[in-house]
Amino acid sequence: MDASVWLQQLVNGLSIGLVYALMAIGFTLIFGVLNVVNFAHGEVYTVGAFIGLLVITWLAPPLWVVLLVVLGGGGLAGWGLERLAFRPFRRFRDEASLKSKAMREATLLSSLAVSIIVREALELRFSGEMQTIAQRYLLQTPIQLGPVTITDGNLIIFGLSALSLLALQFVLYRTRIGMGIRAVSSNVLGAQFVGIDTTRAIVATFVVGSVLGAIAGIMVGLYQGAIFPHMGFEPGVKAFVAMVMGGLSSIPGAVACALLLGVSESVATQFFSDGWKALVSYSFLLLTLWFFPNGIFGAQKEKM
Amino acid sequence: MSARLNLWLGLALVVTIAGLIASGSSYFVQIAITTMIFVILSASLNLITGSAGLLSLGHAAFFGVGAYVAALLATRYGWSFWTTLPAAAMASALVGVVVAMPTMRLTSIYFSVATLGIGEMIYVTLLNWVGLTRGPMGIRSIPGIELFGWKGIECQLVVTAAVMLGVLWLVHRLVHSYYGNSLRALREDDACADAMGIDTGRLKLQSFGVACAMAGAAGALFAHTTGYISPDSFRFGESILILSMIVVGGLGSLYGSIIGAVILSVLPELLRDLGSYRMIAVGVVLFLSILFLPRGLVGEVSALDLIRRQMRHRLQRRPEAGAW
Repeated sequence: MDASVWLQQLVNGLSIGLVYALMAIGFTLIFGVLNVVNFAHGEVYTVGAFIGLLVITWLAPPLWVVLLVVLGGGGLAGWGLERLAFRPFRRFRDEASLKSKAMREATLLSSLAVSIIVREALELRFSGEMQTIAQRYLLQTPIQLGPVTITDGNLIIFGLSALSLLALQFVLYRTRIGMGIRAVSSNVLGAQFVGIDTTRAIVATFVVGSVLGAIAGIMVGLYQGAIFPHMGFEPGVKAFVAMVMGGLSSIPGAVACALLLGVSESVATQFFSDGWKALVSYSFLLLTLWFFPNGIFGAQKEKM
Repeated sequence: MSARLNLWLGLALVVTIAGLIASGSSYFVQIAITTMIFVILSASLNLITGSAGLLSLGHAAFFGVGAYVAALLATRYGWSFWTTLPAAAMASALVGVVVAMPTMRLTSIYFSVATLGIGEMIYVTLLNWVGLTRGPMGIRSIPGIELFGWKGIECQLVVTAAVMLGVLWLVHRLVHSYYGNSLRALREDDACADAMGIDTGRLKLQSFGVACAMAGAAGALFAHTTGYISPDSFRFGESILILSMIVVGGLGSLYGSIIGAVILSVLPELLRDLGSYRMIAVGVVLFLSILFLPRGLVGEVSALDLIRRQMRHRLQRRPEAGAW
């Protein structure tokens, strides 16, 4: 095996890792603000891919229009998810009940329920099979770059992910709503005292996180040519793993761990058959939990 | 358990079983067997998730370990159900304790994440270790249960009911005792329980091991009654289904987990005419019950109340039994 094979796997790993990273950011943002795990995040990814698919089959617009529609659809999905699965359980406004254990468990289960409903509804409407995507939208045109063959999908994933990460930094650090999100995630009560509308900040968090998730969904759908109702489960779990490895509330940590997961998975395919690949990320998860119970990049926080 | 209620429940069980055998419909008998297997699973998950507060997202995997151990022993070495049942229970408990030992010091969400990871690892292993488990093809023609020469689906129904009653009795004795009190203390505040002299690590490990053993026994029943198993029955989705059962029924309440298991395994069958809407129905039931019945149909408090009332009743009738 020569170096070009490894380079090839590195490129593939980085692009899938970036997708995990986009998903993991959504998880991390929501966990930071509400201290809850959003189990429906994988379904946001699926919904993003399906919105893209519908737009493609109905109107066949240029790719950037598809992406814009998916962006809007993802935001809407995030808003709806918050409205349906999280808001009804936020009956009190004080910090103790916002971050209480009962609240955490209730929203964990309600987001699970919503994810079951969404997934089954999609399966009912589109059947569980892989959908056919118009050939010219598939991001699989090979491009020869020295010894490595990449596809235009790799480039688009790199470009769009970088763009999304920059946009996220801009939103979080340069806008009022981003300031609100950061304030609520560091201290709910304090944010309320200085006049921040916590509900609005929470909704904004869901919208931002879901936009990233939906974009990841459509990109992977077109890159791998596979859009189906259960597609969200695996990246959802991987992103979840990346979030835990990164320390639950650290965005840079989650991104770094997502990249690590992506690369090590694609390198592992050199040694194992495809089916065993999934074990890599779970072993990473368990090793992290055993040796770094607060995550590799996590600060020493109180126990959750 | 409160004696009179249990008498009625037991009577209902006997009548149902007799009715099912009399009706001779193998379809209904099969549903009854599946339901009882899920009662075992939900009662065992309730022990760790409801009483001890360890939210496990990988319970179906331990069910799967039991099922595969039983199926392999029965098909390769010709063991009968009566030897594979304890073997499956022990194997599941062993796997559970070994994998869970390092995760026991994790709390709350980290523990759930670890069980999710362990569950998926077990699933991936079952799916890909083709040499042992035959992978996605599954294991076929597992022999049925035989009791003194009596076999067939009626025998399986009766044996499953007996195992279920045994498990329920055991969980009941564990939960309604000082042991159960310490489990609940662990759930409410493990640091506080630790400070009061409860060995939290050992307690978590014990309850996890016991619950896994019960899941393994359920797995053996599943393998022998259906005759065919494949990894798909032991995925994350099944773990969530079991979790939904105890949430709908009421976390921490044994009656609740029975009711939840019965509802969520009979409901999809009732809705069979609706075809593919049934999983949506499960999701909707789960969502509505979290929203409107946050404590479940029979919450822990009301279940405990029922039992305490009954105990007081009994003590008043027999004052010599205790002075309180």
